[in-house]
Amino acid sequence: MAVYTMKRITVGMISLFVLVTVTFFLTRMMPGSPFEDGNVSASVTEAMEEEYGLRDSPVKQYRTYMTNLLKGRLGVSYKQQGVTVESIIGNAAPVTASLGAAAVITAAVAGTGLGVWRAVSKKKTVRILLSGGTLLGAGIPNFVAALLLLLVFGVTLKWFPVTGLFTPAHYVLPVLSLSFYPTAVVAEMIYNTFAEEMKKEYVVLARAKGMGFWQIAVFHVLKNAWIPVLNYLGPLSAFLLTGSFAVESIFNIPGLGREFVSSVMNRDYTLIMGLTIFMGSVVIGVNLFTDLLCAWLDPRVRNSYLEKRWGD
Amino acid sequence: MSLLEVGNLNVQFHKDGKKIRAVKDLSFHVGEGEIVGVIGESGCGKSTAMRALMGLLGKEADASCGRFCFLGEEGTFSPNKVQKKMAMIFQDPFSYLNPTVKIGKQIEQAVRIHSGGNKKERKQRVCDLLEMAGIRMPKQRMSQYPHELSGGMRQRVVTAIALACNPKLIIADEPTTALDVIVQGQMILLLKRIAKETKAAVLLVSHDFGVIASMCERVYVMKEGTFIEQGTAEEIFYAPQKTYTKDLLKNARRTRIKADATETEEVLLKLSNVTKLYSNRFTQGKAAQKEGVQNISFAIREGETFGLIGESGCGKSTLAEIVTGQKRPDAGEMYYRSFRTDLLKKSARKKYLEKIQMVFQDTCESLNPKMTAGKALMEALRADKRQILTAEERKERAVQILKDVGLTEEDMWKYPKEFSGGQRQRVCIARALIRNPELLVCDEAVSALDVSIQTQILRLLKEIQRRTRIACLFISHDLEVVGKISQNVGVMYLGSLVECGNTQEICTDPWHPYTKQLLECKPDPDPKKARRKKYAPLRERQEKPNKGCPYLGQCGYRMECCEKAAPPRYQFGSRKVACFLYSKEHRKGNTDMPMTSQI
Repeated sequence: MAVYTMKRITVGMISLFVLVTVTFFLTRMMPGSPFEDGNVSASVTEAMEEEYGLRDSPVKQYRTYMTNLLKGRLGVSYKQQGVTVESIIGNAAPVTASLGAAAVITAAVAGTGLGVWRAVSKKKTVRILLSGGTLLGAGIPNFVAALLLLLVFGVTLKWFPVTGLFTPAHYVLPVLSLSFYPTAVVAEMIYNTFAEEMKKEYVVLARAKGMGFWQIAVFHVLKNAWIPVLNYLGPLSAFLLTGSFAVESIFNIPGLGREFVSSVMNRDYTLIMGLTIFMGSVVIGVNLFTDLLCAWLDPRVRNSYLEKRWGD
Repeated sequence: MSLLEVGNLNVQFHKDGKKIRAVKDLSFHVGEGEIVGVIGESGCGKSTAMRALMGLLGKEADASCGRFCFLGEEGTFSPNKVQKKMAMIFQDPFSYLNPTVKIGKQIEQAVRIHSGGNKKERKQRVCDLLEMAGIRMPKQRMSQYPHELSGGMRQRVVTAIALACNPKLIIADEPTTALDVIVQGQMILLLKRIAKETKAAVLLVSHDFGVIASMCERVYVMKEGTFIEQGTAEEIFYAPQKTYTKDLLKNARRTRIKADATETEEVLLKLSNVTKLYSNRFTQGKAAQKEGVQNISFAIREGETFGLIGESGCGKSTLAEIVTGQKRPDAGEMYYRSFRTDLLKKSARKKYLEKIQMVFQDTCESLNPKMTAGKALMEALRADKRQILTAEERKERAVQILKDVGLTEEDMWKYPKEFSGGQRQRVCIARALIRNPELLVCDEAVSALDVSIQTQILRLLKEIQRRTRIACLFISHDLEVVGKISQNVGVMYLGSLVECGNTQEICTDPWHPYTKQLLECKPDPDPKKARRKKYAPLRERQEKPNKGCPYLGQCGYRMECCEKAAPPRYQFGSRKVACFLYSKEHRKGNTDMPMTSQI
């Protein structure tokens, strides 16, 4: 297992390196300059570029950047003078992370609940409503959901505050709009796998043991039904933890997504690079984590990892 | 006094608006401490009836019972509520255990429900149960997952779960069907012992007359949802009344399908010292253990059937994959006619691969459910690059081949699910034959079928062989089946061919200790003989020793030299044996006499 983890981390490092390299040269290929502004003359821009070393050849710039990176320095933002990239990420990341984590948990809990409810409900209307609901939830993009929630609960009903992120009440609307789609997907997956697992023969044996329905459902079936969901939740958490631009913009939340988009608009090279590295690490880390979690839940997966280690 | 009395049990299924009566007016009784057998072919409603008794029917079934008296209490029948004091042992121990929960935990749940107690008491009880079910070192086993255990061990875990409720009646539904012959013998022994120790009655459901004969005092014969005959084991086995029972018994006894002598024919396929090894997946930390096949040599002549037997996991299927060219051997030589084939590149191998076709065990899985039988056959023809046929010709050939395997022209447009198991296997055989192969590899081709269907398919294969002179490599775990169809047989144990030679000779006079054990373990469909039978003691499957004879751990004839090196093959006439008993040094008596069995 340790060997497997080490191997995954090494592969992750290599992909991160490739990501950094490609992003670096892509940013340099963008037309225009970070210091181009309607109000300053060309000579000023040139002087600024000279100072920041942007007049050097891209390869030399790359070498300098990588040297700094290895020393653990992400550099200074070009646009927000004197502010380091680390501090920008340090300010924005917790905001996005708390939002994303809340959304993932909401999706997992609500999705599981709705999925199981749909699978076990004896009332036909409940099943139809839930299946329609999941279809609808999976069909609405999160920015539409965000606008609708904003309109209904924020503007018309005035139940929840609409901008910023100061009190727990501020979290409700953005988290809801972020978790709309994943909840629907999780509910659908749980419904399918749960119904399938319920037909398996080990459930019959569990009944023969004298276990009650809910004992079987929670102890035996949910554990197995959760494994495919986990594989979905991994990439999802990576996506949510790195920020959603649309939702953050609508609710005016100072998160990573917003920073990322504005950095690209401003051609703030160092910030783009910093955010790319940060998000790349999060995605790789979260995926590794969910794989390990899967292995922990399912001994068969654990063995397939061990098998990989032997090769062939 | 009867422990269980059932009168007029009916079970119906509702499917697509139709009602299907699975169990019709079943009446029977089980005495206290009695072992009662229920025998019938698959699909006759045995399992459904047993589940109804136990209270395990699903929602879609509809059950009623005229009289139900269990433990002296009247009218406690409930198709959806589990009976206490009744326990069930299921057929396939793998799918009946939750793959992601440790076995100790799975047993503990049953203990918690039936006897409660604190954590320590429960754990002790789980240990006791595992020991009662014949598992040694229960403490270590408790923290293992189902997939880490062998089939026999898993079945014992399921048995331990059944014992957790101190049952008065144990319903054993095909408890030995998924197991190897030797393990099956041990399981019969275990069930007998449990019945004696716990004084519980056993209701044994099986399709295997041998298993029923070796355990039961009274037998019910079931056909299409009803009991058509009942009586003591002696009555049923020695003086059956109904023709159905007689037919079943006849199929169960060895009826040899006549084999032609083919000694003069040309050798079609020859393997010499073929080896293919894989790393074992469950041995992390330890020295890398290898499994696969080692030093396999045999030859198949034209028109001959070569049987290959061995328990599951002994490398039979690996060998089939090597023969059909899906895997390349690590070492050794393989000849097809006079071409050496193991060194060929993939494209060159194709030419001879077309001459080898395969029939698989699982007929459902090996046919595309979305393709009609005719389409599957014609597709095989279309893949033939050498001779391009028109659609008309293809259809003609397909119809012809279907008729050859005993199906009709109408069957061309049926989907696999519309066929019965036996018919589906016929379609599979037709698909293999349509390309005019020279060698047919049947990997457990009849293992999933009922005995009567098995006989039909074996007859069909023989008939085809007589007509086309096709050679056949017939792989099975069932010595009975191989004995019926093959002229020569190879016995495999943990990747090695331990004995090889004429089928008749080997079946009547085994030389290798393993072959002898295999033959002895097969329960006879004869109660008097079967009850006397002594099975090998309960022994856990041992890991393959790193050096020495593969059969070392199980062998009753082991000698010092067996531990040091693997025995070479000793050849006497057509028979080859890999055992030191047949070496010059260990031979008993006069060395000038022809060799006879040393065991």
